[in-house]
Amino acid sequence: MSILIDRSTRVLVQGMTGKEGSFWSRHMLDLGTQVVAGVTPNKEGQSCCGVPVYHSVRRALLAHPATASMIFVPPRFVMDAVMEALAGGIRLIVTLADGIPLHEQARIRAAGLKANATIIGGNTSGIISPGAGMMGSFPHWIERVYKPGRIGIMTRSGSLTNEIAAMVVAEGFGASTLIGVGGDPIPASRFAEFLPLFQADSQTDAVVIVGELGGSMEEEVAQSLEKGLFTKPLVAFLAGRTAPPGTRMGHAGAIISGQSGTVAEKTRLLEQAGALVAQRPRDVGALLGDALAKRA
Amino acid sequence: MKLFEYQAKELFASHGIPVPNSALIHSLDQLDGALAQTGLPCVIKCQVLQGGRGKAGLVKMARNKQEARRLAEDYFAQVPRLKAILVEEAVDYRQELYLGLSMDAKSGQAILMASGEGGVDIEEVSRSAPEKIHTLSIDLLKGLQPFQINDLVYSLGLEKAAFRPVSAVCASLYQAFCRMDAELAEINPLFILKDGQAVAGDGKLNIDDNSAFRHPEYRQGPEHFDSPTAYEAAQEGIPYIEFGGDISLMCAGAGLTNTVFDLVNFEGGTVANYLEYGGPNYTKAGVAMRLCLANNPKVILIVTFGTIARADVMAAGIVQAIQELKPACPIVACLRGTGEERVEEIFAPVGLKQYTDTETAVRKAVGIAAQGDRT
Repeated sequence: MSILIDRSTRVLVQGMTGKEGSFWSRHMLDLGTQVVAGVTPNKEGQSCCGVPVYHSVRRALLAHPATASMIFVPPRFVMDAVMEALAGGIRLIVTLADGIPLHEQARIRAAGLKANATIIGGNTSGIISPGAGMMGSFPHWIERVYKPGRIGIMTRSGSLTNEIAAMVVAEGFGASTLIGVGGDPIPASRFAEFLPLFQADSQTDAVVIVGELGGSMEEEVAQSLEKGLFTKPLVAFLAGRTAPPGTRMGHAGAIISGQSGTVAEKTRLLEQAGALVAQRPRDVGALLGDALAKRA
Repeated sequence: MKLFEYQAKELFASHGIPVPNSALIHSLDQLDGALAQTGLPCVIKCQVLQGGRGKAGLVKMARNKQEARRLAEDYFAQVPRLKAILVEEAVDYRQELYLGLSMDAKSGQAILMASGEGGVDIEEVSRSAPEKIHTLSIDLLKGLQPFQINDLVYSLGLEKAAFRPVSAVCASLYQAFCRMDAELAEINPLFILKDGQAVAGDGKLNIDDNSAFRHPEYRQGPEHFDSPTAYEAAQEGIPYIEFGGDISLMCAGAGLTNTVFDLVNFEGGTVANYLEYGGPNYTKAGVAMRLCLANNPKVILIVTFGTIARADVMAAGIVQAIQELKPACPIVACLRGTGEERVEEIFAPVGLKQYTDTETAVRKAVGIAAQGDRT
């Protein structure tokens, strides 16, 4: 039905009592996510969205075993919150904030690798399995975007994900799990790392990746396809095809440096590895339809 | 945020890295004083942020006073947005190295790159002769360890006398990289003198924008930007880039704005400016529209698909901006996401049509730009 998160996932929310934390915790609960406790220093004894709040992760876990943590703290406090969750033994962490200092992004990435944990973010809307659960801030109530289905979606971008997911839904499909790896230069998790999970998931028929110029995550996906680590159909849409070299296009990670990071090169490698690359958002649905029809 | 060479060198010097004797001048009448300090011959170096200054002719050697004066005069007169020139003693060196520190996204570790053949475009070297570049990974928790530096410097083809000076520069550069939250710290070239001493011939240091709050001593001024409008956008925290074409993009989300940018180009249109006012800026329609209008576009193209950046709130902001700024150029709007069902009704009072499909909106804007004149 989904990867990473389902109705059995027990989620802690760090930074729950803030405006964003409480708003989106309510929506996570509405979608069926098991939110078991919140963490905000100095707020122990209160309750938020009907669940108890604790001073620290350790104190929350004593009463409420959890396997995942959703972090809603401001960017400069994210690293400490991630380390606290890891120290508590949590191995699925989602952090949304845009603006985590670069050297802390690096430390978060390195800590996740060392602990063999899945950390997702920052600068993302998180993860959602429509109809099953959410750790993040997705407007799941918009039906023409967030419909349950059998397509895995991975993305580096927010608004563009809505655009592409709407195209997938318009073609009659829906999402098994949507993962926003985020738009930071050093995302805590990378596209290729989720491909084996989608490969193993019997409820996912194909994967769509929404990438962009800069970095090397799309190239790594191509390598995974070459190695046979993912054999289901894969459709990619990549933004920034006409971006000039050396210009930072919005996201800090979206920059062509020298000859690396161009959409043309990413497209070439992906197509060579057997992926289908859409030139326009509209083409994503059609390519997906063709690929799945061919397979059936 | 990129530092100018003179700022990077000041910083390097404060970390113990030797730099050439130099003086910064802001006008021609400061030149004589500077030359008294550096002596002749000297190097006249424009303090601009673009890379490849040598190739662009913005760094030149002067053998005498007359040459120095003529160069400085021409630079001040001709180089756009030039605020300062660094006058630096000419260094007599026997070897040029490359040293650079950056982050590796995949491992979450810092990477130190070094080459015994510096002074040239390092990207070019990495393509043509990658074996000449030596790299080592640095675990940020452990820091750069002495044995790592030791192993590296023996790979650079140095004279024995240069081992210790170069090792010291590596350690200091890493300290500066960490303390400044840098995304890049680079010395190219690092001069090796006859006696083995190492001197930084150039300096680059980019402070990570997300860490700028920790470094209030470095403020970006108008000289860091391509135009006054770009400076104003940065003050507002709005990502903005000028391209000189017909269509102003006033979009939300980097990925979606890049996609609209591509679609405009696919359809044969040209972009006046890239602008995204999503996320925390989604209520700033007035500011965003004013920035777009500064480019005198033939049409403003608004495309959003927001979540927290609600479509209805953005629509109301656009209506208010139109009423206040009374733009003379047409506007094509396509607002989707939370509250999208209310957009048409909100637009009605100003007669703005709501498009619901990105590509249709892009084609409409490109069509208007093809016919329309600038107002």
